[in-house]
Amino acid sequence: MSQDTQIRPPAEVEAPPSPSFLTNVWRSSGKTTGVLAGLIILVVYLSITQPIFMTWGNITNIVASNSVVLVLAVGATFVIISGGLDLSTASAAAVTGMSYGMLLQHGMSAWVAVAGALAVGLLLGIVNGVLISYVKISFLVVTLGTLSVFESAALVMSQGKTINVFSIEGFQPIYNLVNGKVAGIPYLLIFDVVLVVVAALVLRYTTFGRGVYALGSNREAARLNGINVARTTLSVFLIAGLAAAVASLIQVGRLTGASPGIDSTLLLTVVAAVLIGGTAYTGGDGGVGGTVLGVLFLGVIQNGLTLSDVSTFWRGTVNGVVLIVAVALGVARDRGWLRFNRGKTPASS
Amino acid sequence: MNASAAPLIEVRGVSKRYPGVLALDNASLTVSPGEIVALTGENGSGKSTLSKIIGGAEQPDGGVVLVDGVETVIANPATALKLGIVMISQELTLAPQLTVAENVFMGRLPRKGRVIDWATIRRRAREELAALDVHVDVNAKVGDLSVELQQEVEIARAVSSKARLLILDEATSSLSEHATERLLELIREQAKRGVAVLMISHRMPELYSTAGRAAVLRDGKMVGTVPLPSTPESQLVRMMVGRELNDYYGSRDCVPGDVVLQVRDLASADGALAPTSFEVRSGEIVGIAGLVGSGKAQLGMALGGAIPATGEVKVNGAAVTLGDPRRALGAGIGLVPDDRKRAALLPTRSVAHNMTLTWLPKLSKFGVVPTRTEKRRVREAIAEYGVKTSSPAKLITQLSGGNQQKAILGRIFALGCPVYVLSEPTRGVDVGSKSQIYALLQKLTESGAAVVIISSELPELIGLADRVLVCFQGAVRGEVTGDQLQEEVLNAIAVSGHVHEEPS
Repeated sequence: MSQDTQIRPPAEVEAPPSPSFLTNVWRSSGKTTGVLAGLIILVVYLSITQPIFMTWGNITNIVASNSVVLVLAVGATFVIISGGLDLSTASAAAVTGMSYGMLLQHGMSAWVAVAGALAVGLLLGIVNGVLISYVKISFLVVTLGTLSVFESAALVMSQGKTINVFSIEGFQPIYNLVNGKVAGIPYLLIFDVVLVVVAALVLRYTTFGRGVYALGSNREAARLNGINVARTTLSVFLIAGLAAAVASLIQVGRLTGASPGIDSTLLLTVVAAVLIGGTAYTGGDGGVGGTVLGVLFLGVIQNGLTLSDVSTFWRGTVNGVVLIVAVALGVARDRGWLRFNRGKTPASS
Repeated sequence: MNASAAPLIEVRGVSKRYPGVLALDNASLTVSPGEIVALTGENGSGKSTLSKIIGGAEQPDGGVVLVDGVETVIANPATALKLGIVMISQELTLAPQLTVAENVFMGRLPRKGRVIDWATIRRRAREELAALDVHVDVNAKVGDLSVELQQEVEIARAVSSKARLLILDEATSSLSEHATERLLELIREQAKRGVAVLMISHRMPELYSTAGRAAVLRDGKMVGTVPLPSTPESQLVRMMVGRELNDYYGSRDCVPGDVVLQVRDLASADGALAPTSFEVRSGEIVGIAGLVGSGKAQLGMALGGAIPATGEVKVNGAAVTLGDPRRALGAGIGLVPDDRKRAALLPTRSVAHNMTLTWLPKLSKFGVVPTRTEKRRVREAIAEYGVKTSSPAKLITQLSGGNQQKAILGRIFALGCPVYVLSEPTRGVDVGSKSQIYALLQKLTESGAAVVIISSELPELIGLADRVLVCFQGAVRGEVTGDQLQEEVLNAIAVSGHVHEEPS
């Protein structure tokens, strides 16, 4: 290279100011600031108006009644970040729950039944994943189809009957884990925390997690840069299937029975929690931390409605409105319609 | 040039601030009827902001805009259209599902009573297109036309809408040399008829062949206005970048070594590229020229495994599995695709994560990314490849086009591949960044890489390449080296498939 060729002096770019840890937290919380503020306002309001709200008993109740949604939502976060959507997640949980109940009913030991349920969850994830990533059918078509298939499979398995597992001996370990406490802290809360931390670490610090983001951000760019698109897609649906199995174990543990019926608002609540938590529905952005806030936000609203004696019939209305408002606020922020978008400068050429 | 006429548009002392940047700082500009003014400057200098203000898409924070000498608020693009200000940008605004005729008269379909008068629309569209010497079926769906023809339909629409000021914002950047020449001819024709033109382009030869004046922006300030083509290019570039740019394409000091890349009968599965064979040596830059549709783009994609292909590709003697970008990358072929937005950028991710994407397999241990090493590597690469960003954590879409491209090139160059395939490596990139990219390419070959560059810009190929292969109708029809490396020779092969004098 000739000496005359002038390169921009590297001094200009060599030492970009390294933002402090707090700055990083503040910056990365950009998409979740709204839901966090909403959650705080809600909590303050309910603490003042409902004396029961801030009691330990009520708080553990919120954790217990939202763990199913949380587990499913963590799985859904992976799928949505990768640019997909799993509509079959609540139906898959019904199938895995029924599998668990039937294995217990047939006298299987506790851990064989649990392993069986997890295996069925993986299998359902493989069905979705293979059809989407290798047969290359749209995720909307595949999971809309399996939503219906899994739902009916759950009904077929027990001829539509609920399996009562309360008196089955093999059910005891799961019952104890789901409903038990250590030093006043529910095992379920500990499990939720561990799950969220592990999922967050996987998304942030593994090549797999980076691949999931890349896939959702720009599939073609991910492919051309050596990301194994098919395998990554299959993996996120496997995670969603596994999440469905774990969620169903919690559900059966709480209800002491495996029911083939599906709560019709569950799917919407799961997807809403992920989107309210700032994960982009177009993929490529978001995270598990936001999903936790989304689940808590919807859970606390539900809890507040119950404490205020509002009919549970309103639940769907509230969830739907919150979802649309939250996503609309996100869109407004991205387009710069709201003035508080710190330091966001449009790239001009 | 009709200099005595009152300016059609005058921008006086206009400023525009975005959060964190002053995009325009007290900038002034006039364009008179019949005049073609080039608006020049590096990426981020404020060209687009200024053209958006004139086009009504942005409002200035300070200063005034005068139309026909009268102070005017151009509140939105619709107001601009009513004033006869029409913007043509790189991104087309045609409706692909509608016919050519419908597109030409979009938003102002002639009516007979209350019914749309289709016969008139078709007849007048045919007349308008014929007047511009564009030969296209007015009943064809726009989506079925080539990009070039679409661009010409867009121009026809602008012209037939009685435009008084045409703003061309990088309108030629996706066109081939031939189509560009036609478009510029149309523009010159319009100017002769009294239309004022403001053009933005990174291609210098275009500005010199078309514009009568160049207004230069730097960091939002109007640095000056110079007459064209009498002002030497070096002076104009100096005004744009604020410093000397000697030896634009750079040079390198190395003798081509052993054959690194062997290509035998490589053909794309879609038939756009017929079986092609060539070799590239270590330290050699081979250029690929050709018109749009000549197969040159497919040649790059096939080499990088991005599209299904047949034939044989060997790197250092080892055969590469075709049609799989991961295998191609693993075998040492680093591909930079031509369409940055569609195939290279991760728009929702940071500069750092965009760059490390390709390094992950080498960087990680047991699937875990060591973040400290990662951060250090990113900082080093940002400095080495001259990416200008306030922080590695910044969203990549917030960088200028030139800096985005340097980040994309950096993530591939940092791999140290034996073979690089670069498709349009400087498309939409300003002169300052271009010269940096050329220097990086020269350095790459000095370290022994074999480089294939596919480009629509012939001066770039002539300046960089040791030899140039020219594609015509899906096959390589000529190889040009040494003294024969001239635009006329390359153009002759690109257009007709052969030259009259034997090239070698």
